[in-house]
Amino acid sequence: MAEVQQKEMMCAPRAQLEWGFGGRRKIRDGALLVALFIGGIGAGQFVVSSWLLYPFGAVVGLIFVAVGKSAAHLVYLGRPARFLRLFMKPKTSWISRGLIAMMVLVVFGAAYLAPYLAPMVGINWTLWTLTDAVGRSLFGVAMVAAFIVMIYDGFVLNSCKSISSWHTMLLPVMFFFYSVAGGVAMSTLMTTLFGGLSTELIITLDTFLLSAMLALVAFYIMNLYSSDLTGRESLRRLMMGRTAVFFIGLALIVGLLVPIVLTLMHQFEGFGALATSLLAISALLELAGDLSVRHSILKAGLHAPVM
Amino acid sequence: MVIDLKRCTGCFGCVIACKAEHHTPPKVFWAKVLRSEGGKYPNTNRQPIPVICMHCKEPECEKVCPTGATSKREDGIVVVDHNKCVGCRYCVVACPYGARYFVAKWQDYFTGKDIPSSKYAEYSRRKWLEESDKGVVTKCTFCVERVQKGLLPACVLACPAEARTFGDLDDPNSEVSKLIKKRHGFRLKEEIGTDPCVYYLPTR
Repeated sequence: MAEVQQKEMMCAPRAQLEWGFGGRRKIRDGALLVALFIGGIGAGQFVVSSWLLYPFGAVVGLIFVAVGKSAAHLVYLGRPARFLRLFMKPKTSWISRGLIAMMVLVVFGAAYLAPYLAPMVGINWTLWTLTDAVGRSLFGVAMVAAFIVMIYDGFVLNSCKSISSWHTMLLPVMFFFYSVAGGVAMSTLMTTLFGGLSTELIITLDTFLLSAMLALVAFYIMNLYSSDLTGRESLRRLMMGRTAVFFIGLALIVGLLVPIVLTLMHQFEGFGALATSLLAISALLELAGDLSVRHSILKAGLHAPVM
Repeated sequence: MVIDLKRCTGCFGCVIACKAEHHTPPKVFWAKVLRSEGGKYPNTNRQPIPVICMHCKEPECEKVCPTGATSKREDGIVVVDHNKCVGCRYCVVACPYGARYFVAKWQDYFTGKDIPSSKYAEYSRRKWLEESDKGVVTKCTFCVERVQKGLLPACVLACPAEARTFGDLDDPNSEVSKLIKKRHGFRLKEEIGTDPCVYYLPTR
């Protein structure tokens, strides 16, 4: 900590120590990363599963957002008992906007899925169905809210003007694609365990998303390379040192390149009984990549020197 | 406020005065002095740069705060209401000057634990918890409680080189306005657009 303190007193790029693992509170600050990850894949899974008419997956996605993301945020906060105050300034604060969207997603998502959930608890639901006008309206609102939940953390980072590696519109786009891909990965895992979706459809979706994510990461790297000194220092941290293990090792190779190869192998060759296992492994690796890319981006956040 | 970089010797008197006034715990610096190194051998130099909250006219911290805990008073001082802060630290990350600190818990200077090791530490702890609390974000207040009594902020009063001048920037006849005009005062990170209210006078 003394070393960190000395670095803070230098007129040089300064690492942000507030969000993500290894910050001021070492482990507890990592809860924010977990919240971003769980919120992203939960909203993604809700969107993907609802779109593919797989209500079981949508319910799991909604639980991820309602329980997992909320709990992680509460663990992170300095004064969790005051959490209701977080909703007070949607006019200017992306945190307020994101959390309001999260509440809307949970409420409207649960209402949309009520016809599917009610019979499980012995209620004969007759008010609306998943496909009638009311159901579709609820679905529409929940979808918009899920979209905001997927991208808002990108805007939270983007709004920090003195952190060059965050102050880019690429982040909301990247987080959107990673969230949808996380949703597809979760749906793949659930299909492997419980069945329910066509693997062909999942593979087509996955191939498109993985390619888009690879292109976006490449754009992000190029953007940092052509950025200011602080941006290039962030890039150096992503490419070398401890953060590189997560960014290059886990996010790029394990989380993107290996799943692309596995998906392509599955598409062109076909592996019979092995195919499902390969898809499940690919999905797990994608999720690890999703977590790693978010971790790396948080760790590479450097404030520009004051002078 | 105006800080004369030509006069600043980097003695850290302002840092200590601030700590004594506000009882900030270890690792929390409302006023700090950064060390800047420049030039090329053999013409190199080291310049201390005192940094406090810039009390910006368009503060990023106020904009991003989701709870409304950070606000700007009529006199231009940016303050944090510790009863409203939830400790999300969006403002700490958004502040371009690194002027904000999150304090998870009070710590004793000598033991590093949250139990005071002396009577003074006990007093210090009580004062800190009364004025700033734990689990929230804290920052320089321009010593608002002193300014209201007509006194100068602690860092201004303590500076042995008289490098700091405190006054009303809106008054064109004030000493600060005159100094800025005469010595071509500049501000840190003006390009971000926060319109900071702390000016620096160049070394030459």
